[in-house]
Amino acid sequence: MSLEEFKNRNVGEQSYKMLDLKHTPKSSMGKFGQVVERTVKGELFVGLWVTLREMGNALFKDNMHTIKYPLEKLPISPRYRAIHDMLRLLESGHYRCIGCGLCEKICISDCIKMDTRYDENQRKEVSEYTINFGRCIFCGYCAEVCPELAIVHGGRYETASEQRASFSLFEDMLTPIDALKQQKEYDGFGAVSPNADDNIKQTPLAY
Amino acid sequence: MTAKKIDTNNITLTIDGKNCQGSKGDTILTIARANDIYIPTMCYLTKVEPIASCRMCVVNVEGVDGMILSCQEKAVDGAVVTTSNDAIDKQRQSIMKLYDVNHPLECGVCDKSGECDLQNKTMEFDVDQQSFTTRDQHRPVQNWGFISYDPALCIMCEKCVHVCTQIVGDDVLAISAGGYNSTIINTKQDEQCSNCGECMSVCPVGALVSTDFKYSSNAWELEKIPASCSHCSATCQMSYEIKDTAIGNRQKKIYRVTNNYEFSSLCGAGRFGFDYANESVGKDSEAFTRAVEAVKKAESINFTATITNEEAMILQSIKQKYQTKLICNEARGYQKFLEAFCSMTGKSLYSGNLKNLSTSRGIIVFGTRINDDNPMVKYHITMASRRERARVAYMHPIEDASIQSIVTQFIKYEVGSEEGVAALLAHTLLDSQKPTKAVQAYLDDLDIGNLSAESNIGEEELDALLHSFDKKRGFTLVVGADIYTHPKAENIAKLLGLIEAYSDFEVLLVPPATNALGVALLCDLDDDAQGYSVGYNAKANFVLSALGDGDLDMPALNQQEGSFTSLDKRVVPTNAGLSYGGYILNDIANALGIHTINTIDYTVKLPIEKGYQSIEFDDLPDYYNSIGEEHRGYLLKQSRYKKDGKLDEVSTLPTYDGSVVYHCNTNNQFSTFTNSCEQLQTEALLRGSAQFASITKLQDGAKIKFELDGVLYERVFMIDTSMKGTVAINPSFDMGLSSSTVSSYRFSQPKLETMDS
Repeated sequence: MSLEEFKNRNVGEQSYKMLDLKHTPKSSMGKFGQVVERTVKGELFVGLWVTLREMGNALFKDNMHTIKYPLEKLPISPRYRAIHDMLRLLESGHYRCIGCGLCEKICISDCIKMDTRYDENQRKEVSEYTINFGRCIFCGYCAEVCPELAIVHGGRYETASEQRASFSLFEDMLTPIDALKQQKEYDGFGAVSPNADDNIKQTPLAY
Repeated sequence: MTAKKIDTNNITLTIDGKNCQGSKGDTILTIARANDIYIPTMCYLTKVEPIASCRMCVVNVEGVDGMILSCQEKAVDGAVVTTSNDAIDKQRQSIMKLYDVNHPLECGVCDKSGECDLQNKTMEFDVDQQSFTTRDQHRPVQNWGFISYDPALCIMCEKCVHVCTQIVGDDVLAISAGGYNSTIINTKQDEQCSNCGECMSVCPVGALVSTDFKYSSNAWELEKIPASCSHCSATCQMSYEIKDTAIGNRQKKIYRVTNNYEFSSLCGAGRFGFDYANESVGKDSEAFTRAVEAVKKAESINFTATITNEEAMILQSIKQKYQTKLICNEARGYQKFLEAFCSMTGKSLYSGNLKNLSTSRGIIVFGTRINDDNPMVKYHITMASRRERARVAYMHPIEDASIQSIVTQFIKYEVGSEEGVAALLAHTLLDSQKPTKAVQAYLDDLDIGNLSAESNIGEEELDALLHSFDKKRGFTLVVGADIYTHPKAENIAKLLGLIEAYSDFEVLLVPPATNALGVALLCDLDDDAQGYSVGYNAKANFVLSALGDGDLDMPALNQQEGSFTSLDKRVVPTNAGLSYGGYILNDIANALGIHTINTIDYTVKLPIEKGYQSIEFDDLPDYYNSIGEEHRGYLLKQSRYKKDGKLDEVSTLPTYDGSVVYHCNTNNQFSTFTNSCEQLQTEALLRGSAQFASITKLQDGAKIKFELDGVLYERVFMIDTSMKGTVAINPSFDMGLSSSTVSSYRFSQPKLETMDS
């Protein structure tokens, strides 16, 4: 696409199909004729039949065009940026977050906050972690900057709540330990690229 | 050609095409920095001798083959220096590559991340991959109490070892050399380390970190509040670093204290004693009304010298309005001492300061257990000892094992004989000088033999002292708190004044408490309290207390802005690290009709006749320049003083036979405030030698009680094997409001009663 084409905002020029709409009658006789025609022709029943047919399909043939939200939900793209997930290490089950604070620092709406401490195993432990989803704009920077792929965006997009406090906590976002086997490696925003292995440079550490 | 007269001290050289001035003896690096020319370094630390382990500071000098280490090479007049070209940059990049070999990639959790020299220089020299390696080894983290050491992160720059030996003088850290296996080792573990944290502050990477702070916050999240340390009279430069306490608690908390480690130092109390704020205080208006009434009817106000200059001014204003007596035991003795001292010297202040102390070649310490009384003075003596090979004579009744590595001559005198010692000192040091006839006559009249016998200082010791100072330049006499409270303090002050006036010695009168000098200059203090009293951090009928145990809460010094007058005779600003919600002293003054909006409005009103300057608090500078010149506040102006002092006869020296108790806080403890800090909390013990134990018939661990200045002490007795003699040491940092009551001579002979356990 050249720049010229890109700049052409004249949508009418493109290959749209125009509907054959009749002219609006002008005379009062013409208007009367249109009313009589629409009344007698039974167009209404055409529409009603379509509805009835689809209802029949849905009820008896289990062929439905809509989904039963909220009982059913459409699958969404892995790149969708909804409420964050906190992933765990698959081997040890320990959460991946190392408490580096980069997500907290990069967050442009300043909604991430974490407390860290020195734990018994001489490691940095995240003692508390919150995201204020009343402020979060789901920009995805946190997931992108995370060096451990610990914080990622999940697909939970229903974020209505009565109180900000009940939006989400670290524990809510963290993969439940009993569901560790179901944890899928994230392939959305900020994830390693599929050809990441090819891009790795060998360091001399592999002696 | 006309012969120009060249100032031999000034040299000019060209660095990167820029004409730079310097003085003879300066290194190329110093001159470059003074002229804002950047030369990268990894191991260079201004306050110690060049370490020269990193070789990052290499430069080219025209006409000299190869590269030259600018950190240790003295500049030559007329030299042409290039700080950067392809060869040099390549050299620097290879150095960074070597530093980065196997450096653990744990920046994500490392405390130093964000303020790490290695990170910065790695970026600066564009090292983005590791091209060679060595076999790594298991090097576990070592916990050294206040500090923990991670050898895997250590880059062996040796800064820590150099501050430990050249500044602190503890000689705790050493290098275990072994190529790639080299590490820093703690040679003495806990016993000799004064836990000052200096090593940690100079560490360019995350190898030495505070155990308490570790992993609690990233460097960039902390807000720096510039301040001055409030624990002792050195009032060192430092910054409080604050952040929200926790996610659920938005109250700010001090996470750590940092300082400008390139040029200044801190002791352990300053660095680890920061959490003494009087927190969660609200405005209790009833208590406030009672406080205002109490101050109105008070006949005397007791206070400690741990206050700001501005508060001292407020108290002085209250005195002027209500004729209240101002009682400050800590500062009163010092004030009288200073007055008597100045009446002999004819100048309004003493002449010594820390910088001159650190470059002195001959130092006498008299009447103070200096390592415990004022560690910063001890650090400066160490600097003189290590760099200038200064002769250090330590004159005290108790030998101090912690400073034996810097003391060249220990002169022990009898408890109580300070007046005689001062006379002997004056006699010895003025021997070859030319004082006035009256003074000479006075000195000639002294019964040296008798004084020497009574104070137990041999004449040969003094001869040796004088002999050791032969052919040296730069002398400082450090005088401490033992003398200010001595019954004959005024005459001692005059004798020491003679030394300042007629010898090469600069005298440094170490103030006994944080702002004792400020209080001494700003307040008209009274000797004895009478009637109804109000106490500010001191015991009284109505107590205003920053410790949270009084009748009205007051802000602690890390919650106040204001200024201190330091032992360097410098007025230094300090800012509030934490906010304070209650009433302050200025509110009381306002309620009494002494109107000022803010406490710091008094800064500009500090009396000019006392040497202060009329500068607004917000205009006080607070920084070090690129070569470490101190621009904090301003120096007090020395003025003339009426030279009307008359020397008294040295009276018969008092004798203290048997067991004696010496009032002295332990290292890293100055007051109740330091003891309320979580990291510094220690048990107050009466420490004495085995000899003391045998005289008093006390067992190790015996519980005893005794009374001093009306304060009842209950102590556990501990035999300290490093001590000798019959003097035991009794601290007062755990005594709360009573600790300021100690007003008499530091040596005393209380009746020790054993308590039933």
